[in-house]
Parts: sequence; C-alpha cells; structure tokens
Amino acid sequence: MTNKTLSTAVLSSIWCIAAFAQQIDPDLTGMRALGTPANPKVKWSWNYYMDYASIMRLSQELAKAHPNLVKIENIGKSTQGRDMIVLAVTDYQTGIPDRKPGFWIDGGIHANELQGTQFAMYTAWYLAENFGKIEFITELLRDRIFYILPSLSPDSREAFLFKPNTPNSSRTGQVPLDDDGDGYIDEDDYDDLDGDGNITMMRRRSPNGRWKEDPNYPGRMIPAKADEKGEYEMLGFEGIDNDGDGRVNEDGPGTYDPNRDWGWNWQPDYIQNGAFYYPGTLVETRNVKNFIYNHRNIAGSQSYHNFGGMFLRGPGAEEDQSFYLPSDIAVYDLIGKQGEKMIPGYNYYVIWKDLYTVYGGAVDWLALARGVFAFSNEINTSYRLFNRRSNESRFQNEEFNEFDKYLLFGDAYVKWKPYKHPQYGEIEIGGNKKNNIRNTPGFMLEEEGHRNMAFTLLHAYHLPKLEITEIKSKRLPGGLTEVTATVINTRAIPTHSAHDLKYKIERPDYITLKNAQVISGMIVEDEDLNITREQKYNPQTIEVPNIPGTLTGTAGGGFGGSGGNYAVKVRWIVRGTAEKYTVEVDSMKGGVVTKTQ
Amino acid sequence: MAQQLILTHMKEQSLLAAGLVGLLWTFFLQAQPSSYQNHEQRTARLRNLASANSALARLQSIGKSRGQRDIWLLTLSKGEASKKPALLIAAGIEGAHLAGTEMAIRMAEKILANVSKDSIAKLLETKTLYVVPSVNPDAQEQWSARPRYARSENALDYDNDRDGRLNEDPFEDLNGDGLITMVRVEDPSGTFVPSSEEPRILVKADPTKGEVGKYLLLTEGIDNDKDGNFNEDGAGGVHIDKNFTFDYPIFTDGSGDYAASEPETRALLDFLYNSPNIFAVLTFGPANNLSEAPKFDQAKVNRRVITGFTQKDVSAMEQVSKLYNSLGFKEAPSMPQTKGNFAQTAYFHAGRFSFTTPGWWAPKVEAPKDTTKKAEATASATTSTRSTATSTTTPENDEIRFLKWADKEQLTDVFVQWKEIRHPDFPDKKAEVGGIAPYAKLNPPIKYLEETTDKHVKFIASLAMQMPQVEIVNLSTESLGNGLHRVTLKVLNKGLLPTYADIGDRIRWVKKIKTELFLANGQSILAGKKINLRNALAAGESEEYSWLISGSGKVTIQAGCPTAGMATAEVTLR
Repeated sequence: MTNKTLSTAVLSSIWCIAAFAQQIDPDLTGMRALGTPANPKVKWSWNYYMDYASIMRLSQELAKAHPNLVKIENIGKSTQGRDMIVLAVTDYQTGIPDRKPGFWIDGGIHANELQGTQFAMYTAWYLAENFGKIEFITELLRDRIFYILPSLSPDSREAFLFKPNTPNSSRTGQVPLDDDGDGYIDEDDYDDLDGDGNITMMRRRSPNGRWKEDPNYPGRMIPAKADEKGEYEMLGFEGIDNDGDGRVNEDGPGTYDPNRDWGWNWQPDYIQNGAFYYPGTLVETRNVKNFIYNHRNIAGSQSYHNFGGMFLRGPGAEEDQSFYLPSDIAVYDLIGKQGEKMIPGYNYYVIWKDLYTVYGGAVDWLALARGVFAFSNEINTSYRLFNRRSNESRFQNEEFNEFDKYLLFGDAYVKWKPYKHPQYGEIEIGGNKKNNIRNTPGFMLEEEGHRNMAFTLLHAYHLPKLEITEIKSKRLPGGLTEVTATVINTRAIPTHSAHDLKYKIERPDYITLKNAQVISGMIVEDEDLNITREQKYNPQTIEVPNIPGTLTGTAGGGFGGSGGNYAVKVRWIVRGTAEKYTVEVDSMKGGVVTKTQ
Repeated sequence: MAQQLILTHMKEQSLLAAGLVGLLWTFFLQAQPSSYQNHEQRTARLRNLASANSALARLQSIGKSRGQRDIWLLTLSKGEASKKPALLIAAGIEGAHLAGTEMAIRMAEKILANVSKDSIAKLLETKTLYVVPSVNPDAQEQWSARPRYARSENALDYDNDRDGRLNEDPFEDLNGDGLITMVRVEDPSGTFVPSSEEPRILVKADPTKGEVGKYLLLTEGIDNDKDGNFNEDGAGGVHIDKNFTFDYPIFTDGSGDYAASEPETRALLDFLYNSPNIFAVLTFGPANNLSEAPKFDQAKVNRRVITGFTQKDVSAMEQVSKLYNSLGFKEAPSMPQTKGNFAQTAYFHAGRFSFTTPGWWAPKVEAPKDTTKKAEATASATTSTRSTATSTTTPENDEIRFLKWADKEQLTDVFVQWKEIRHPDFPDKKAEVGGIAPYAKLNPPIKYLEETTDKHVKFIASLAMQMPQVEIVNLSTESLGNGLHRVTLKVLNKGLLPTYADIGDRIRWVKKIKTELFLANGQSILAGKKINLRNALAAGESEEYSWLISGSGKVTIQAGCPTAGMATAEVTLR
C-alpha cells in the first residue's frame, strides 16, 4: 500500500465514524469490535512498520490527546544523536506516578526485529485509549506505571528500514568498527546491486553447483539430493569484494550486539560474540541502565525480540542457574504457562537451555542485578503461517513459500534476475525480502501485537499490589497500647524476589505507624503463638525484608504441616492511646499504601 | 575533648603549611615533595612537568571521577605517540595506595630529567610511555582529609549495606587524633588475642594452641544504625579496583552495581582499548605478579571462560620477572591478584601483557640466625623487635613484618598506641583505640620511594629494549619477463618478546600482524593477497610472503602491528 492510499483509507474511516460520533459514542454501540476502541482519540494504522518519525509523531499525539495518561521522557541520545524516548503511561491523577510499581517495556534492541517497537507503541496507545472504557485497564493504570521505550536502537532501526539489508543485518548498532582487522573501517558492506532496497542472494548457474530450484516453488533454492545433479552454486548475500581482500561483505557498519552489553555475567567478545569493551560501552544501553537505576519501582519487564514464538526467562548461561531460585521460578511458570495458551504456537523457555547461551543479556541484568521479574518474547513463529507446528527448522521452511503464494501473493520474495557481477560474472540476484521470515506480515501484525501485549499486561497485573487489611489496637497495663497491622500482597510477584532477598538488592519495605509515640516495634512472626522479633533501632518504622505474593504460603497444610498464610504482621507498643492509628507501607517495588484504623 | 580538637586543628594547619611549602618547591625548583600529595597538588605538579618538557610530555584528562576530578594521562614520547609501541603505567586504582601514584609521577620526572642519557633517549625515541598516576583520585583525597582513613571508594553516593539509608554509619574518630584506626574491646565473646610475636597486633585466637579470645576487634567508630555492623556505610561508593570486568565480584561490598559502572573504570578501559599500541601495562597496586610470574595451568586455559595465562604468555612473563628480579627486588610478600581488578582485566579482556607490583614493600627484618643465641637475643630485645621461632612455621603476618621494619627505621607516626576511650556501644567495657596508622603499611615515608623508583625506571627502560620490533628482511625481486615480477620478503620480529600477548590473538580489538602491499598505477597482483594478517610473531620468528606482480615502477610494502611498530620497504620493478 502506498502512503497516499493508506492515508485515504484512514481518512475515510474517520469520516464514517465522525458522522455518527455526534449522536452517540461508537464504543457504546455494536460498532465496537470487542477489546478495541471504535473511535480512538488518536487514530493509527497498525499494519505497517513505523519509522523514527512515526514513533515520535504517535508519541506526541498520545501525550497531547491523553495528558493525564501519557508523558514523554527523554532518556538521552543515541550514538548518532537521536533522542531516545520513554512513554510513561499511568493514571497521573491517582497516586505518586514514580512510586507505583513500575513495568518496563523495551523494543527493538535488535533493530531488524521490527515488531517489538510496534508492540511497545501499540501497548501505549491501547492503554491510553481504553482507560475508562475497560475496567481492567483503568485499574492497571491506577495501580501501576508503564515505562515504554519503543526503540532501544533507533539508529539501526532507521538503517534497517531505509538502507538495503538482509533479514538479519542491522542487528548491530551503527558505531563504525574494523570488523576484519585490516585497519580499514566499514570498507566492505553489502551492496544493493539491483537497487531494490533489499540485500537478497546471489546464485550462479553452474555445472559444478550443488543447489537447485524447488519444483514446488520455483525461486526457492534447495540442496540437490545425493543422486541428483545440481544446477546452481550459491554465492552468498548480494555484494562485491569492495576492498579487494578476497572476501565479500566482511566489513559493514557496527557488527556487535547491543544485547551483550549489559551488566550481568558480561564476557568479552572471544567468549560472547558481539560483546564490546565492557558492559555499557554503548550509549543506548547506558541510557537505559541510568533510567532503570533512577526508577527503582520497576518490578517487571519485557524486552521484545523476534523470532521463534517464545516467552524467554533467564538465565542466559548455565552457570547462573543457581541464581534463579524456586519461588522466583514459580512466578515465571505461572505467567509463562498461561502465555502458552494466550499465544498459540509460543513456548515458555529458558534462554540457555532452550535457545542458546547469552552472556551479558538484558534479561539477566534486569532479573539478577536489579531483582526485576523479566521476560523476553521472541515474536513470530512459523506456527502462525497455518496454525500448526512445522517439522522444519525456523530458517529453512517450505511453508514460508506456500504462505507467500496463497496469502501474500508473492510479496515476500524478490524474483531472480540476471546481473553482471564484477567478480562473479553472469549471476542472478533474488530471494527473501528483508522483512520476510522474521517480521510479521501486515495483516497479522495487530493480532500478534495484541496477544503479546496481553501477555505483558498479565505480567504487569501480577506486580505487587499491597493492601493493609487490618489495624487493631489493644490496651496494655501502664497506659500503653499495642497496635498490630496486617499487610498482604494480593498478586503473585513479591516486593523482593528471592534472589533480591538473598543478595540484598533492594532496601527492606517500611511499615510506619504514623501518629503515635512508639516505644517498641516488632515483626510478628506468629500471632497465635505470640512469636515476635523486636526491632530496637527506629521502631516507629518497622523494616520487613519482603511482602510475599500469592504464590507464597501454599506449602504445608493438609498433611499435618502448617502454612497457608502469607500475611505480614507488625506490631508497635505505644505510649497512651489514640482513637485512630494510621499505618503507611512504603515498598520500593510494591508502592506506597496508607490506611487509617 | 576540646584539647584534642585544638591539637587536631594545629596538626591540620601545620600540614597545610607543609603542603604549601611542598607546592612552592615543586613550582620553583621542580623538587620532589616531602609527603604524599592531594589532587590539586598533583595536578599542579603534572602541569608543571608537562609544560617544562613540552617537546616530550603531554598532559591530558581521560575522564573525570565521580567527584569530578580529572583523571590525568601524561604521555612521554618523542614524535607521534600513538604511532609507536607503548607501555602504560597505571597507579592509584586502589585509592589507598598512594606510593604507586607517587612512584608513577616520580618515574616520569626522572625520565624527563635524564633524557640526555642514551637509554632514556632511546626509550622516548622508539617507544611511548603513558602514565596515569591516579585513576581513583576521589579515594586518594582522603589522605589529606580528616579523619584520615585508607579509602578505596570513589565519591559515588552509595548505600553500601542496602538498608535504604545513605552513609548512615561512617567511621568516627573516637580518640580525636584525626586518624581512623581500630577499636579493641575486652569481651568474653571476643575472638582476638594479642600476637605472641608482636603484642601490639591482634590475631585470631588459635584454639589448637590453647588460646582463648580476649578482644572484639572493630574499626574505629560507632554502630550508628544499630545493625550490629560497625562503619559499614560511610561516605563513598565504589572501590575502582573491584569494578573491572574480569572475574567481577558481583554483590561484594565496594564492587558497585555492575562491572565498569564507574566513570573511572570506563575512562581507563576506554583509553586502553582505544590505544592498540599499548604492548604491556604496569600497574602499581597491592598485587604482585612480577616478583614471581604466574604458573601455567592448562585446565584454566581450556575452559570457556578462561582464567589462566596461556603457556606462551607464561614464558614471556617469566622472562620479564627475571628482568625485574635482576634489579634487586627481594623478598616480596605474596600479594595475589584480586577479583575485578584492572591488572587481570588488562590481560584477560583487553589482551595485553599485564604486570603488577606494589613497587615498595617493607623489607624483611631478619631474626637472629644463630639459634644458640636466640634466647639471649629475645631477652634483650625490646618488645618491638621481639621475634620467636614460631614465626617461621606460621604464615607471615604482614602487619608484624611492617612493624619490625618500622621499628628498625625508628619511624614514629605509623602506630597509634592502644589507649582507653569511652565507647557508647560498650558503656561498661574496656575499649581502646589504636593500631597501625591508616595508609602506613603500603605507603612508607616518601624518602623510601627514591631507590625503588630508580629501579623501576631501569626496569621500564630495560623492558622497552626487550619489546618486539617488526622488520622487513630478505626483500628480493625476480623478473619473470614480460613485465611480470615476483617480490619476496620476510616479516621478522627482531625483539626479545612476542609482538603481543598470545591471548591477544583471541581478542577482536588487538591488531594482528598485517603485511600490506601498495601498488602504483598500472600494476596488478596476479598471485598473493594485498593484505595479509597473521597471529603474533614470537621473539625471532618470521614469516615469508611473496607476490606475483604485473607492471613496473615502485611497490611499497608495510608490515607490523601497533604493539611492535610498522616497518616499510620499497622496491622498484623494472
């Protein structure tokens, strides 16, 4: 679709709805397709991939249309000087925004993996447009704040969209580097020989070749069988040996991996391919780290990638298994297993075991250095071509060609055409377009975005939600009063992961008795049997190491053991008595709640 | 108390005066200071040194510390520094090590004062010397602050004990002497006893010797936040020499939130990684791999995350250790490398030869050798030089070793005698403040650095002479007729050490040996590659290259690598 027809389509739909809008809100009519606003304040088309300008425009429109829900924060500049923005989405009229439990979303750290950015923007738009319309969303924004970084590698996103690329190039950032060690920088990049904006493949008809065309899908190259003669030899991605060193396309921009630049079990390039000098060499990841250290309320995170259809959790390296403790894994299991139903074809996986080893990845840094419950979705899977599991590998799969033929009408492949190559002579160029295989086709984009967002909102739903359920007081002899408060967390994620508790990542939660002269304070470990632990220093504010979530306390019970209670109880002994006591719970990741007796 | 305050104040004034005098001396006479300096004094000293030697020295800042202090780089070189093989001297990464900083600056001063000598002239002619004397200036500033304590952490505001309170439990100068030493409290639950060898020093009671603990041993201060830990969260953030990437100790006090989180760490690493001409690094700090070279351990090299030096590199390091020891450094105490330090990161991650030494250590004061006279000697000795036979069987106590030397040299000010104080956390107990003065053990009075600095200048000059040097030799051309020529040559490492560390060949940022042919118009290569890359050349190793070239005229060949220099040769094809 060209830009012109696109805008015409958008305009005409606006016109249609506008005609009715004067009488009645379309969202209250049958015009509302369930779950989606029929007449959003910000109209946007979700079936194409946004460039940097579109991201900025949509962000500004959202902030303008929803000033009490969406604010833009500039977190720093990219290598090439683009502003990196975070959309901070919450109900700004309730609570202190940056003290609500925070959820971090980043997209496009690997810039060729386009969907993450798209889905991050969809989430910001969806939350803002459905606030006040869907109760679940309204409550979510009342209780939580979302920090959404749509594009972690904005320079490379622009490079991927507007420069010739393969499906896999522009995974790197754009810092110029000498990849082949010859002392020259970026001197032998891909060459878009046919000028179509894609770097496709080169093949040459040859009696010595071991490749042939697929009889079912002409144009698809497959290896000749052992008893067959081949027709072609494959010459790699489109390009020429620009520097005359006998190698083709060996030194393009960058060639490092921003997702090996994080501060947990970082390893150098010879151990972890793609690493730079040290964790945080790249200004983009450093901007994010600074933001996250300045927002210690962030308790959950999603880093979108593609592809393969996976909900990934850490660790990235086998030797870090011991840092993922059973009670933390229980939280991941709860969300990950539900996710497998929410997005058919997606699997809940562990990075090192089910994918490959990653040292210095963002997920481990978030989970293990910051104590954040971190998922990374690998968007898009060949399952979604025909809603069934294919036996073939994720990169060599005939179904992509079948899908292209019947559903994309041939838009996914560049047809082979002859070219006279300065080094290889008469060759042909053709094959995958850069958006084929990895990046979701347009007509499926909104659905896959919505399903991924729904998974992420489930994750965000389970951030801690604290509640002071009871404050009771009891007179003691000598003019003293005993005040006991009960605090619970009604969601699965605790205020401190077990790993956080073990290594003291975040400070304890504070429970303060506000309006009383406190003489002594204590944690009540067992109210019935009166087992308490006194806090001698500053007893007005009791420091509890953790307020566990709903997955805690289910051990014991039923088999002669005890358990089944996850409440945190604290007690103060105060001088005199008062009619009402006010208790405040202040948790870095669990938020601030107050209750008066 | 008031009296103590006045005394402290007077001391400060006299120190200030001494500092000013030192500054003036440096300024007018280029003389060396009489005491360790603060950042401002060092900055002035380095500026003067660079401006007085502008043809050979250049001063620049490679970054700022958390406390906004410049991290200075002094480059000594004749000609274009970045084009020549280089050595980097780094010091003051461990902020408590002032001696290294002083030695690094002194070495630069001595080198510049001796440019007329052949060995020094040759050093600056053929090599570049980079000196970063104070990587962690924030910590080092505590030397001239009050109270004085041996500080390792930079100026980051950091909740060290992660209890939500910032810097709530600092040291307190309980005896008002301006120094932070130790507190010992007589307590039946204490686990320390005075050493039988040196009663001023407390050691862990050894039940196998029938010893029962007598003292609690704490740092000088109060447990302000009543968490049972003393002075665990004072001013300051990250110990820079625990913040580097190799074997980074996560969740360790002082190591920071993640490797290279600090601007000091990044400044030094950026400079190292962006200077491919640095062949080797010499770190002055509290670790020593020069007096004794590391051992080769195949198992450590074979792992995915390698933690051992390769066999080739161990050989080279043994060679350098031999050179170091030949200069008369004796009886170095064992000072193993520590997790997350610069010295190991420079090798395992940046791929450079990396040497580290404290530069100075307290010489061993020998006990009398004649055992028949031992009883007599012990009886007549003062408490401070007392030595017993047990010391030969137990591991060496570096504090005792230090005090023996200090006593022999009659140094005052290095030990604060135990003196009773009132300690609010132990109201009914006998508490005393005392112990070795902060900084003293690693940093002797400055006059003791003179001799060792001279030796280290010699070491650097000799090391430079052993450094690799790539040459093009046996260059020949044969005419094959019809304008066709064969050019043959050998690329040779004429130095006594490999062109770069063996581990460098695994590392992307280390430049390999490149042999490149530059053709004139009308020439073309029929056989052979224009650019040839290969792994490190050992000392004396060479590789032959040949090309078939069509055409006539001048052909230029360049060979080498940044750590071993580039050689150029020309031939004319007729």
